[in-house]
Amino acid sequence: MSDAIVLAASDLRREYHMGEELVHAVRGVTLEVTRGDYVAIVGPSGCGKSTMLNLLGGIDRPSGGTVTINGSRIDGMRDAEATRFRLHNIGFVFQRFYLMPALTAIENVELPMAEAKMNAEDRVHRARELLAYVGLGARRDHRPAQLSGGEQQRVAIARALANRPQILLADEPTGELDAKTGADMIALLAQVNRDGTTIIVVTHDEDLAGAAKRVVHMRDGVVVDDHRQDSR
Amino acid sequence: MLFRLAWATLSRHRSRTLLAVLGVAVSAAMLLDMVMLSSGMRASFRELLLTRGFQLRLAPKGTLPFDTDATIPKVSEALRTLRAMPDVATVSPVLGGQLHVEVAGRVITAATIGADPLVQGDYEVVTGRAPAAPNELVASDDFLRVSGLHVGDTLSAAAGYDPQLRSFAGRRTLTVVGRAHFLYMAAGQLVVSVPLATLQDMQGSRARDRASLVMIKARDGASVESVLQRIKSALPSVSAVSIETAMLQVDKRLSYFRQLAFILGAVSLAVGFLLVTTLVTVSVNERLGEIVVMRAIGVVRGRIVLQIVLESVAIMVVGALCGLGLGLATARYLDSILSSFPGLPAAMHFFVFEPRDAWTALGLLTGAGILAGIYPSWRGASLPIAVTMREEAVA
Amino acid sequence: MIPALLVAALIPSIGQTIDSTPPHRSPRTVAIDERLAADTRLRLGDYVILSSAPGAAGLVGAASDTVIVSAFVKRRADPSEVARAEYRVRMHLDQLQTLIGYGDRVDRFAVGTPTLAAADSAIRQINAAAFGFQGFRSRDIAVQTSRTFAVVSRFHRAIGVITIVASAIFLLCIMLLKVDERRRDVAALRLLGISSRSIIRGVMVEAALVAGVGSVVGVALGWIAAQIINWHYRGVYRTPLAFALVTPGIVLLAVSLSLALGLIAGFLAAQRLVRTPPLALLTGRREQSAPREPAATA
Repeated sequence: MSDAIVLAASDLRREYHMGEELVHAVRGVTLEVTRGDYVAIVGPSGCGKSTMLNLLGGIDRPSGGTVTINGSRIDGMRDAEATRFRLHNIGFVFQRFYLMPALTAIENVELPMAEAKMNAEDRVHRARELLAYVGLGARRDHRPAQLSGGEQQRVAIARALANRPQILLADEPTGELDAKTGADMIALLAQVNRDGTTIIVVTHDEDLAGAAKRVVHMRDGVVVDDHRQDSR
Repeated sequence: MLFRLAWATLSRHRSRTLLAVLGVAVSAAMLLDMVMLSSGMRASFRELLLTRGFQLRLAPKGTLPFDTDATIPKVSEALRTLRAMPDVATVSPVLGGQLHVEVAGRVITAATIGADPLVQGDYEVVTGRAPAAPNELVASDDFLRVSGLHVGDTLSAAAGYDPQLRSFAGRRTLTVVGRAHFLYMAAGQLVVSVPLATLQDMQGSRARDRASLVMIKARDGASVESVLQRIKSALPSVSAVSIETAMLQVDKRLSYFRQLAFILGAVSLAVGFLLVTTLVTVSVNERLGEIVVMRAIGVVRGRIVLQIVLESVAIMVVGALCGLGLGLATARYLDSILSSFPGLPAAMHFFVFEPRDAWTALGLLTGAGILAGIYPSWRGASLPIAVTMREEAVA
Repeated sequence: MIPALLVAALIPSIGQTIDSTPPHRSPRTVAIDERLAADTRLRLGDYVILSSAPGAAGLVGAASDTVIVSAFVKRRADPSEVARAEYRVRMHLDQLQTLIGYGDRVDRFAVGTPTLAAADSAIRQINAAAFGFQGFRSRDIAVQTSRTFAVVSRFHRAIGVITIVASAIFLLCIMLLKVDERRRDVAALRLLGISSRSIIRGVMVEAALVAGVGSVVGVALGWIAAQIINWHYRGVYRTPLAFALVTPGIVLLAVSLSLALGLIAGFLAAQRLVRTPPLALLTGRREQSAPREPAATA
């Protein structure tokens, strides 16, 4: 694997049972992502793009094939090992934000850093920086329910960046946002990418896909098109 | 952060958490009471028996001290034998009976202890002094109150009556020389004590050279068990009872309360356990999404387990601490009920608080809290991340 | 007076005093209680020697008497005797008086009166006539002797009250959780236009069902527990007494209390739900507290 390649998936497959039926969600996908890239995975509902993202992020285990991030095979890792790997190398952003409702914005951002055993002073400092970076410096002591959808997603991005991951995986990050807030989110993700984080995003949102440097089209569990958007 | 998250999660549903804490507090109070009950009466009885340092008691063969009206015959012989034993320090014979006292035209009947005032172990003189002459007595507060007599007063007492002659038998004129606290007597009981020889005389032939009980103190450093064995072989016609034997007998008679304490304690623990398990399980079910996201962002399973167990232990411990005061208050109330058992020494208690009891209850509840958190935490930590997120999204 | 009699059975297996010479006169009969018979393996027709002093059995000139066991007596279901483990022997009055050297004396008389009303005047006459005698109504003596039982009953009642409080909190908590679990369904129903009253009614019916089914299961468990308790303590104390009874009154109390508590808990929990706006129920925002510092514009 070349030094520039940060993530490589080879012949990735994922099958699962839904009742009696065997579903082939991902059927032999091979994909390489270079450092600093911004990849949008698009396709119709049920094409396997979210499953693909889960496999790439190590939160689901493939039925076959390999996933390598920064030279580490994550598909065969034990659960604890994969969890530690995610903590330090991958940031996640979800469609429904999934912030801890009991914690304030800053505490949500601190959570992965606390798990990584960063000392309290450093993590508060970094959490403040990150919240300022996503434009929420003034709302750090609010709980998720006191924030709008867009603000919650910004907090989620700040949380994802907490441990300085090399890759940010986002599953429909604009899916629950209105057009205006969605546009702000697209701009923020572009900024994050410009600042050096590799991003892989799964989306239906054409504007979001349009903002990516590379677009991967999936259908029925396979990649049907993979092209760069040179204009970006 | 772990504590912060556990605390924040519990604070999210305040009314629910408060109710659970309240439920645990009641269970904890009950548990504490039952722990106190299971050991309290033993401790109290032991303390009572050892109040004056007598470790051994002799009773008529086949009986326990003052359990029947039977008496030990030829007691002076037995006393000689006992006093001759090198490891016996003090021997105190006691005869039980009743005295009928005529006061202002009415007759008051009092439980009476005939004992040697110099070595007796039945009472402590509160005011005045112990009897020094055959015609002197000490009396309980209740006797003095009911009779209207005072220290220094003289009274006429009899140990029995003769229906044929329609007169009192064994009549004596006695002087009250002291007010005493009787260690083994029930609350409110009218009690007096006269010298042993006086009571034997007053009771006539049936009490001649007899005693209901002999209390024995072993010399310092002597083995009580070996003294007991020596007495048993020297005096086979009496029952020699050590504190341990007496405790066993009491255990046997009051086994109902110990078993009740065990059952109710177990039920309290089970109720607290079920309450917390239910609450934490529902709480985990409500935040499956949050839990799998924590896993997704890199929080290890052990940490999830720890956080959920911490929630359950927190409810238990806070509930237990709240229950401590409640438990002590209810124990006091329950003790006042059981202490009214007829004939029970006023100094005997069923619920005796010792810090060890509180630690035991707290330890049991903490253990139950950990167990209560295990199922929901295992469930939360073992959720498949991708599948759960898909299901949560559908929900 | 309860004399402690010593019973030496003429059975070699017990290893007590064995009298090989036949009694010189026709022995009298005694009745012993079932415990004594069981523990000493005495049978009807066995000879035993009774004495009031240990070691006196069989000695010439000592106060002892050889008798025949003619009956076994069942223990009464008397709460005041429940914890007493001593053996009982029933014998003729003169026989006991001789044996224990009691002379022409008794501890008490039982006096029958033709009517209940006559009891009071009989007591008055006895108390007036016989110096040193004290007459009591049987009922008053029964009250005195069952004081132990009364204390235990009071203790049980107090424990019962504490248990009811704990159960009430438990039930309230469970109902609150159950209703809370349904908040999304309730929100959906309210968004569909179902009235708060109907929702409360529905929740209360569910609460009543839970409480009803729970109390039926509870009564069944209670009945089983009562059987086990009775079996255990009858064995421990060797008494026919019933220690735990599941009476219709207790069942009625338990079921009605459980239903009432269930309904109250259901009502309180449902009230809480219908007072919260449906959208807030869906998003869960009602549980959030105020921000710690003034909110900036979103």
